[in-house]
Amino acid sequence: MTSTDALIRTLSADLVAVRRRSVPREVAALAAVGVVEAGLLLAAGAMRPDMAQMISTPFMLWKIGSLALLAGVTGLVAVRSLAPPATPRRGMMAALALAALTVVAGLFVTPTGAGGLPLLQRLSPVHGLLCATAITVLSLPMMAALAVLMRRAAPVRPRQSALACGLAAAASGALIFTICCPMNDPLYVIVWYALGVAAVASAARWLLPKRFRL
Amino acid sequence: MVIDPIFSAKPAPALPRSRVDAAAAGRGDAWGALMAAAQSGHGGAYQRLLTEISAWLAQYFRRRLPAGEIDDAVQETLMAVHRRRHTYDPRLPLAPWLAGIARRKWIDQLRGMGRRSADALPADLATPGHEAAVTSASVLAGLLDQLRPAQAQVITLVKLHGFSVEDASRETGLSASAVKMNIHRGLARLSSILETKDDVD
Repeated sequence: MTSTDALIRTLSADLVAVRRRSVPREVAALAAVGVVEAGLLLAAGAMRPDMAQMISTPFMLWKIGSLALLAGVTGLVAVRSLAPPATPRRGMMAALALAALTVVAGLFVTPTGAGGLPLLQRLSPVHGLLCATAITVLSLPMMAALAVLMRRAAPVRPRQSALACGLAAAASGALIFTICCPMNDPLYVIVWYALGVAAVASAARWLLPKRFRL
Repeated sequence: MVIDPIFSAKPAPALPRSRVDAAAAGRGDAWGALMAAAQSGHGGAYQRLLTEISAWLAQYFRRRLPAGEIDDAVQETLMAVHRRRHTYDPRLPLAPWLAGIARRKWIDQLRGMGRRSADALPADLATPGHEAAVTSASVLAGLLDQLRPAQAQVITLVKLHGFSVEDASRETGLSASAVKMNIHRGLARLSSILETKDDVD
């Protein structure tokens, strides 16, 4: 008997039934993490005070709608990439194209008056860095949840999957942050939210594949 | 039970070396049914499945790795299949799932070879049997074209032809440490190339 035959016998002996992985179940779990996090933020009274007036404006619809779409697409791409034969590359390209479209759409929802302000005033770097940091922090629970899913699954391109997980976590963090963010300029959102998303995605790309082995 | 007819069926033929997905779709997925049974705890189905796929894996790695690495790669892949068997979706054919895991293990094995190149080489590396490995690790040999010539040359000599580091050093005029470094860097580069490619045949 060869060592491979012996291994096969060992693996087959006393085999226990396993619970199959389910993409809908995992997506639902991630959605639950996002809902709980948003709920906690609302319970803490962190919602922007003028949300009732702003929620129906084109800017706010653009901001929440595009981030929700990006969070949904990247989340699905990330979860689907966690078992072969799926790979995240095409999905991430689609998400990138979607992000580009939302940036273009942002040009049409600039509130009256904002477009005429000086660039530095529109970008407001101090607030912007705070926003990017807040997005990073709010992404952590989703990143942790995705890291657990990744460890339990079988991503055959762990680096790409880690990047997809990072983008999904960052998009959800940015979506949750829209509850609090008081800024009403698409340029500000594009620049500083993109910075937060890039920071989270880079960290995930670097951290999640560490010591991962199928 | 729907699995009984499978156990009485003839063993599934080995898949062709290329176009694994298409082949699996065309053959009716007997392996998928065996894995579905294994997921439910059927040890007999699992043993038969692992036996059949180990033959396919040996064929897969024979084209991609030096002879001395094949058994290790097959066993590593079987362990990965075992640990991740819950991720297989029985609605899909098993072969693409298996091929994805085998490909990952191929990359891991190349990385491992690169790390080991800095250590003392095993005594059984330069054996007469490695003549066959030069031919059989054809995919690996083809990929070496994408490396710097010095890296490709020492990997071919040491990992495929079974030369010792000292022999490769004499052959190439490089120092022994430069040979080791070129092997290490070349295999690491090869792993990175494979990470980004969709498929290699």
